[in-house]
Amino acid sequence: MLVLSRKINQSIMIGDDIRIVIVAVDPYQVKLGIEAPRTVPVHRSEVYEEIRRTNQEALGAAPVATGKPERATLKPRTKPNR
Amino acid sequence: MEQEQITVDLPKFGPCTFEAGEVLDFPWGLPGFPDLHRWLPLNLDSHPTFVWLQSLDDTSVALPAVDPWMVFETYDPKLPPYAFTSLEIREATEFATLCVVVVTPNAEEMTINLMAPLIINLRTRKGRQIVLDGSAHSPREPMPRKMPASSKSA
Repeated sequence: MLVLSRKINQSIMIGDDIRIVIVAVDPYQVKLGIEAPRTVPVHRSEVYEEIRRTNQEALGAAPVATGKPERATLKPRTKPNR
Repeated sequence: MEQEQITVDLPKFGPCTFEAGEVLDFPWGLPGFPDLHRWLPLNLDSHPTFVWLQSLDDTSVALPAVDPWMVFETYDPKLPPYAFTSLEIREATEFATLCVVVVTPNAEEMTINLMAPLIINLRTRKGRQIVLDGSAHSPREPMPRKMPASSKSA
């Protein structure tokens, strides 16, 4: 892993278009500012990890369904958004 | 133009024939399944409210999901801009939303992942699981009791 030292208000670039700024530091917490293109998702790792776990649980818990598999038709939400 | 018909033998469901144009493409995979890109949405008689997302890259993988508004009428996911841009969604009428369900033998323990809906562009058939980080939606919301009883047949 690459380890860099930064001070408050300093930043690092990841590629050409992602910038991470050190906004605040205290003994137990670092506050980061993230500038990324609108196409790039940014998540806290533990949130992503939780989604990964629930997906795998959904697979593990899935019962053997019976009946002939029919292709499902997906529809947009029919109710208008508020 | 005639669509190519494909038949696969699915470990969970048996033989299934579909057309190439029905396959969903998840270019980023799913969290936990980063390499599984091609998915086929299926319905089964035994679980009529579920859509099973059957992986075509690993046929042993099938995830049960539901239309979240069938169980939570007021569900209101605030999708981040990257959901629309990365999936090239132009209008609200052109995408479908599904939420993955953890099906348990005891129906009272079933949960639905409202924090990370599967968003599918119906025009391009491209999909992505969008993590609503920072939202109040739970990844393990208990399924309400009004869920159809058919799910108990498991």
